[in-house]
Formats: sequence, structure tokens, C-alpha cells
Amino acid sequence: MTASPSATPLLEARALSFHRQDEPVFGPLDFRLEAGELTLIEGDNGSGKTTLMRILTGLLRPEEGELLWRGQPLSWDRCSGEVLFLGHQLGLKTELSPRENLAFAIGLYGQHNLARINEALTLVGLTGYEDEAVRKLSAGQKKRVALARLLLIPASLWLLDEPYANLDRTGIELVNRLLEAHIAQGGAALVTSHGAVQFHGGEPQRIRLHA
Amino acid sequence: MHELRRPSLGHACMAVLRRDLTLAWRQRGDMLLPVLYALIVTSLFPFALGPEDALLRRIAGGAVLVTVLLAMLLALDAMFRSDIEDGSLEQLMLAPQPLAVMMGMKILAHWLATAVPLIVIAPLLAGMLHLPAPVIPVLLLALLLATPLLSLFGGVLVALTAGTRRSGMLLALMLLPLCVPVVIFAAGALAAAQEGLPWIAPIAWLGAALVMAVVLAPLACAAALRIALDS
Amino acid sequence: MANWIPLWLHKLSSPPAFYRFAGALRPWAITLALLLGLVALYGGLVLAPPDYQQGDDYRIIFIHVPCAWMSLFIYGVMGVAAFIALVWRIKLAEVVAMASAPIGACFTFITLVTGSLWGERMWGTWWTWDARLTSELVLLFLYLGVIGLYHSFEDRRQGARTAAFLALIGIVNVPIVHFSVNWWNTLHQGSTIRLLGPSSIAPSMIWPLLTMMAATKLYYVASLFGRTRTDLLALESGKDWVRQIAETEGRA
Repeated sequence: MTASPSATPLLEARALSFHRQDEPVFGPLDFRLEAGELTLIEGDNGSGKTTLMRILTGLLRPEEGELLWRGQPLSWDRCSGEVLFLGHQLGLKTELSPRENLAFAIGLYGQHNLARINEALTLVGLTGYEDEAVRKLSAGQKKRVALARLLLIPASLWLLDEPYANLDRTGIELVNRLLEAHIAQGGAALVTSHGAVQFHGGEPQRIRLHA
Repeated sequence: MHELRRPSLGHACMAVLRRDLTLAWRQRGDMLLPVLYALIVTSLFPFALGPEDALLRRIAGGAVLVTVLLAMLLALDAMFRSDIEDGSLEQLMLAPQPLAVMMGMKILAHWLATAVPLIVIAPLLAGMLHLPAPVIPVLLLALLLATPLLSLFGGVLVALTAGTRRSGMLLALMLLPLCVPVVIFAAGALAAAQEGLPWIAPIAWLGAALVMAVVLAPLACAAALRIALDS
Repeated sequence: MANWIPLWLHKLSSPPAFYRFAGALRPWAITLALLLGLVALYGGLVLAPPDYQQGDDYRIIFIHVPCAWMSLFIYGVMGVAAFIALVWRIKLAEVVAMASAPIGACFTFITLVTGSLWGERMWGTWWTWDARLTSELVLLFLYLGVIGLYHSFEDRRQGARTAAFLALIGIVNVPIVHFSVNWWNTLHQGSTIRLLGPSSIAPSMIWPLLTMMAATKLYYVASLFGRTRTDLLALESGKDWVRQIAETEGRA
């Protein structure tokens, strides 16, 4: 199933490339991202997956090429609040509890509904750890706290950098469930992974990066 | 979900402030370090200069100011460091809120956590150096205006060093030119008060500078952060 | 239509074009700087009459004053280049701003040393906290901060842009420091000695001063071009034009 090319895609990259110290990180890249579509970014270590992710969040500026968000050049203010980024650094304060971390995260979006935080923490399987300091949680549990953000903050585009890392089998299923629900609701997602992904909601689009 | 379309800035500010102050409180041992440092430095002055009252009284105002400044410099490096390391800064930058306001809140939280304890013990430091009691209110006023200025300047400079690994000495080198006028006016007010002259003019200058800095420094801080983290 | 000026500037801002332009101009600049410098020194140290108050001691101004002018002038150039680098993200502007910083720091340092030597002869002290000297010292710290920040980044372009921002902050800061130190001096009734009074200077002293000013400007241009050329080569080391230069110069 392909969307009609006339419609404006959510995110479009045209001849996007990035250099660091004049060494090419990834080459000219073209892709379109439609609402309700999952895209996998594949590539070996050092092929520029994380760099691409950071460019797509708007944190990094691409050296060459164009990046369009809903048909307009991507900039900070235009996509902020519509993009949710989960990176290698989870953005959690280890001295605070999962509940406090999430309260801060939704607070930034102007919310303070604490009941929803409890729901989300239950859904990601952290019942009983709500008030433990994040420092005391395992790597996988920390990841789950970060994943709870996906449930709480509405965004049209998810950028997930290695979401499966550190997760056990149930964790991987959790990520897949979250992704399926998000896609079904008409959201879009971009996921990097070097592992196999079993995604049940149809065959995702794939972008390969070469070092 | 509709209330999210227009995220409230007030809530976001409170969220940043509450989180940073909670963190500071959880690590209150770190909060005490600058205070301890200021106490140690102040107690070194009499040993170095001799316990003669008149001499200490003459230098007391300036010595307390410089001590507080150095103690603040000690804590400055940590302003955004952990946020950069754990990725919270990225989350803050991607939030649908003006980054300058968020940075302003972070600087405010940092000022509350590091400068306020120093201001609280400032009368004690002044007493150790025999600063005349009538001058102490002027000292507090000068510190109340000078320390937020230093936090705001520091915030911009720390943002500039955000992309580097170590920045302690560099920060001191960059901050020095910016804090020369602050020290001059704050110390000027103290000297005038000590001589029984009108001291309101330098305090007014500090106040004017603070108003300017409150508006401009968070904007500069946000801009600096974007430059320093880009690439 | 003066359309060709922006066009020419635009062409010049491309690294290979500037590399060639700077390479062609540099020998001329350095020769002229040396010549003018020697003429100015002869004029200042030999031809100019001794001052009726200061005797021969005043002759240090032929070094001190042009260096002081340059220390501010280069900061100005750095500030303009920094602004261009940040607003239009032009690589050449970044390189020019960062190559200017060490040269400016050197001129500032020479100004401080010669000023201190002169001060020792004139007022019997190596250092006094007057507004001009203090501002110059702060200027040196600003330069060192810019250089330090630039070198603390691994990525040179990122370092250049960040340090450019610091340079712009410094431009706002210098007048504030000058004003506040002036205010501070009136408060403490410090020395009222003026390094350069409004007294009329004899024409025989003026021309060596102006010649030396031209010489330092030319030296700055030569030094800046040299630094810019090497920095451009390092920054663009992956590009074709650099490879061509490496091949032709390797063969020569």
C-alpha cells in the first residue's frame, strides 16, 4: 500500500547528507514518511543511524539536502511538540523516581495528570517500582520508564533510536505493541535497529545506511 | 488529548523548577560544598593578612564578594552538565516550549540552590572579617543583585561549553571579563556604605544590569546551546 | 549597477578562491609591512625630536600605540567575522575569526608589556589600575577565552561557531568594562595620569606613528592570510582542490 505521491508527506528528505570534519557520515538520502507508516533505518555500527536521528529531531543541521516537515523546511519550532525522540540517553534523572521523571516529562507539555502516569507505568510493566529511584532500576527497566513517555505524550512522529536495546522478550513485544497502536492511530514512526524486528502491522519501509 | 494542543508555559516552568529543586535537595551534600568553600576561604584571610581589626574591616566587603563569586564559580560547571550527559537536555529542547524560558528556569533553580545558601551565610562571613554591622544590609542587597547576574552570565557560558568535555578552568577564564563590572559596582556600593557615602547609585546600576540580563541572558543561553550542540 | 561587488565577494568566500587570493597577496603584504615598519622605526627612533618632558622614553609609543590600536581593531574584525559566521554560516568567516584571535592576543600582550615598561619609566610603577590598562587586560582575557573555547572542541567548525558567539558577547563587554573601571577610578581617586593626553603632537612624531599603524595593519593582513590558508587546507582536506594543491606542490 503506497500513499498517493501528490499528498504532502509528514516528513520528506531530499538528497540529505551529512559530513563530519569533511568525512561523509551518510550519503545523499531520499525518503518520504507518511502518516500511519513505520520506517526502519538499518545499518551497521558507525553508519550514521544516530546522526540521522538527531538531524530528524532538528537537533543537528544537515550539511546538504533538504528536510521537509509537512511540506515546509524543518526547523526547531515547527515540529516541536509533534516529534517524540527516544535516544541512547534516555533523558531520565537517576535520582528521581519513575513517577517524578514522567511528571516532569508531561509537565513540559503542560500536563499534570498523575493518574495517567500510574496507568502508563502499569502498562510498561513497572508496577511496584513507581517510587523507586531510577538509579536502582535495571537497564531494561530504565528503558521501560522512557517508553512510558510514548504513552503519555501525544506526537505524530516517533523517532526511536535502538528501542529494543537492553530489553527482554516481553520488553521487545511491548515496543512492538506500542508501535502497532501508534501506527494504527495514524502516527508515523522511524526506528533504528541492527537486530531483527518482528513487526506484525504490515511490512515496514526500510532505509539502508552504508558507512 | 485536546488540552495538549496548547501546552501551558506556566506548567512547564513549574515542572522544570520543581524537578531541578528536587534534584538539588536529593543531593543537598553538593549544595553545602560551595558554602563550606566560602567559609574556608574567608577564614584564610585573617591568617594571611594578620588579625588586625582595622585592616580586616577595610577589606571585608570586597573579600566576601570575591569569596562568594569564587564559590559560585565552583558550582557553575554543574549547571547543565548532568542534563547533557543523561539526555534530558534533548528532551527539553524538543519540548513545545520556548527554550529560552526553560533555560531561564534552570538558571533560576541553579541560583536558588547555590547562591541563596551563600547569601544566607554572607552575614557570618562578613562578621568573621569584622564588617561593620550597618553595612551588612548593603552587602546583602549587593549580593542579591550580583549573584543572579553571575548565574545568568554563567548560564550563557556553560551553554557555550556544553559540547566540550572538561570546562572548569576555561569557564573561569571566560567568566572573569564578564564579572569585572559586577564586582566593581557591588564592591563600590559596599565601599561607599562603609565610608558613610550614598551607595544607591552603584546598586541602581546593578539593578539595571540585572533587568537587562534577565531578559537577554536566557535568550543568549538558548542560542549558545543550539550552537554548541549543533554538529 | 554595482552588482559585481557582492558577486565578487561571494566568489572570494569560496575556500579555493580565497586560498589563491591570499596566497597572491601575502608576499606583498609582508614586504610592505617590513618596509613601512623599518621606515617608521627610523622616523620614530632617530628623526623625531625627544619630548621636552619625557626625553627619549616616550619613543616606546611608536610600538605601544599602534599595537593598542591593533588590539582593538582585530577584535572588531573578529567580531564582524564572527557575526557573519553565525548568521550566514560562511566557512571562511569562521576561519578568519578564529585566525584573528591569536594575532589579536599577541598585539594585546605587546601593548600590555610596552605599556608596563613605559609606566615604570614615567610613574615608577609597572602596573596601575587605570581604565585603559585594565580594559586592555580584560581584552587579553577575552581573546584567551575565545582561543581556549575554540580549542576545547573536537569538531573545529563547531568550536569556531561557539567561540564566535563568545567573541560577540565580548564586544558588548569591552565598553562596559571600560565604563565601570572609569567609574571605579573616580570612586577611589586613583591616578589621574593619562597615557595619551590631548596635547598636540608634533608632526615629526605623527608621521612615524601613522606609518607604523599601516605597517601593523599590513602585518596583520599577512599573518591572517597565512593562518587562514593553512586552516582552510586543514578544514577542506577531503576536497578535490586541496588534493590538487598537495599533488602540484608535492611535485614541485
